[in-house]
Amino acid sequence: MDREQVIKALKDSGKWGHKYSFWVVYFCTGCGIIEIPPVITSRWDAERFGVIPVATPRQANLFLITGYVSLKTLRAIIRTYEQMPEPKYTVGFGSCPINGGMYWDSYNTIKHLDKYIPIDGWIAGCMPRPEAIFIAVTHLWTMIDKGMADAYKKYREQYKYYRRNQEMVLGELEWPPLYPIDEDE
Amino acid sequence: MKMNKKLAEELELTFKDIEVSTPEDTKIEIFAHKEQVLTILRFLKDKGYNHLALISCVDWIEKAEFELVYILTPYLQDYEAYKEIGDIHLKMRIPRENPEFETVIPIFANAEPYEREIHELFGIKFAGHPRLTHLLLERDYAIPPFRKDFDTREYVKDVFDSIPPIKGEKK
Repeated sequence: MDREQVIKALKDSGKWGHKYSFWVVYFCTGCGIIEIPPVITSRWDAERFGVIPVATPRQANLFLITGYVSLKTLRAIIRTYEQMPEPKYTVGFGSCPINGGMYWDSYNTIKHLDKYIPIDGWIAGCMPRPEAIFIAVTHLWTMIDKGMADAYKKYREQYKYYRRNQEMVLGELEWPPLYPIDEDE
Repeated sequence: MKMNKKLAEELELTFKDIEVSTPEDTKIEIFAHKEQVLTILRFLKDKGYNHLALISCVDWIEKAEFELVYILTPYLQDYEAYKEIGDIHLKMRIPRENPEFETVIPIFANAEPYEREIHELFGIKFAGHPRLTHLLLERDYAIPPFRKDFDTREYVKDVFDSIPPIKGEKK
């Protein structure tokens, strides 16, 4: 680390800590997960960027949604996302979470993931190369530095609307709301 | 004479009103009536075709018929004796209006998930099936989604595109 950066890191040490320790939750949504084993192992070695996969959402702060999302998976994604401690970051990986991709007219996959949970950034492509994950990670660093990676705050603020959308597509949800919903408005 | 021709002749002699053809050297295709299917399956099982590999379904919408295809293979049998006969495809058709057929679970127990899948994707009822519930899907569809008259684009427009995006307004 440069001397100049030491001062910067000490000035905002929380952000500095968040930046260089991404713990990715192991969650396989679709075909995109096939890119993750080479990324975390010796060929591309994601630990250079501080990205380490962990087994449970309670220990994770980065959520890579890799591939198409069916209705059953969406239920699991919402539950996983709500269990992660803040600050948490989400990245949609591949074209399917963005707008449905090749499943744009499928009867059982959701098309726009950001209608149901907040997303910090997207990696386009089908499949994206492992390098694209590192570009996304470095981009996320910049966003954290500038305070732009605030999707989890948006989830708290707009939770009423997210919950409404989730109930519209999944029907009655069997878990209680994560944040209190005031019905006054 | 080829082995599969021999079995085809035996089938034609045993059962009346079935159509047996051998389109390939290692394949036998049987077209049978609805009532005969269970007896033919029992007969073939005694002949050594003890593995139901798949039940498939085809929607012939112009003829207003569903076609069920039972694919049988000899599993863990003497390879030399069976390799010239190959697989057996048993096909039968049922009308598209209120489609119903009997379950084959008493003969092949592994038919259970296949019949559940066909029930939820094509809407065919299997009489005698112990639990005809959803296998893969969660929601109910007005028309089962694998039927030819199910309009996926209309469905996507109605269900997924009608969900409003989240506005990024800050409080």
